[in-house]
Amino acid sequence: MAGAPDESGPGSAAGEQMQQQHVACQVFPERLAQGNPQQGFLSSFFTNNQKCQFMLLKTLQTNPYVKLLLDAMKHSGCAVNKERHFSCEDCDGNVSGGFDASTSQIVLCQNNIGNQAHMNRVVTHELIHAFDHCRAHVHWFTDVRHLACSETCVRDRAILSILAVRNISKEVAQKAVDEVFESCFNDHEPFGRIPHNKTYARYAHRDFQNRDRYYSNI
Amino acid sequence: MADGGGWRPPRPCETYSAEWKLCRSARHFLHHYYVHGERPACEQWRRDLANCREWEERRSAEAQQSLCESERARVQAARKHTLVWALRQSPPADWHLPLPQEEKDQ
Repeated sequence: MAGAPDESGPGSAAGEQMQQQHVACQVFPERLAQGNPQQGFLSSFFTNNQKCQFMLLKTLQTNPYVKLLLDAMKHSGCAVNKERHFSCEDCDGNVSGGFDASTSQIVLCQNNIGNQAHMNRVVTHELIHAFDHCRAHVHWFTDVRHLACSETCVRDRAILSILAVRNISKEVAQKAVDEVFESCFNDHEPFGRIPHNKTYARYAHRDFQNRDRYYSNI
Repeated sequence: MADGGGWRPPRPCETYSAEWKLCRSARHFLHHYYVHGERPACEQWRRDLANCREWEERRSAEAQQSLCESERARVQAARKHTLVWALRQSPPADWHLPLPQEEKDQ
């Protein structure tokens, strides 16, 4: 599973978690549990699960990054179904979410996602993992370069992410990132550019919808 | 592609205008400089916009050719890095399958 770090910020990358089956239950306890999770005390009118579902729906319907990713995945044969491909669950630690390639599901940590902006970021991040899984043979656990590639945005953060989830030396991590950085940093799919903000994401979505006209006229 | 019949610019002219404007914005300058360490090059968008309008107004063959060359160069530039992983020929077979516990319930 590829985990999303908690609140973004230059120094906070070490929250990234990558779980093998025997470790997954420690962070995503409900992944392997039988029956329904128990609700604790009722802390507000809406449960964490209800809030998670509501925020997820809003993200899927309105966020330009996510709308492009959903379109691109549909085009690649991986149409996303909210009920099938998303799961709001309680998680241990500070993890915000993860992509479980073995079940083709995005896990959202309903106890750790605090607001709509956070939900937007987590869903975007995990959909990128899902998109990469859909279009390529990504060896999440057996090739550290593939892991490096899926997390590449900023070089130092990618190194920290790998060190947080793999028992390897810093030199090996650095080498893995450096080997793949040139290629992975320049792979902007499906955006076609680095979407610095929603304007870029909207332009990218516009270009994606225009692709038939584009490729048949160059 | 210069087959004349049925050709139109790869993007609407408004798109070239929007891209040129975005490229020249202060925010884009900052993003681009931060990431690449150099100022962005926006002149090509301006040329593409001019060629697009030229074709719209006068159906100029030169404008059509310039526009095609420009866009093909963009596609080439985007593809020059080989991917780290192998692309799939078809999507993962288990993407749409029901979840394991759903199978047990049924």
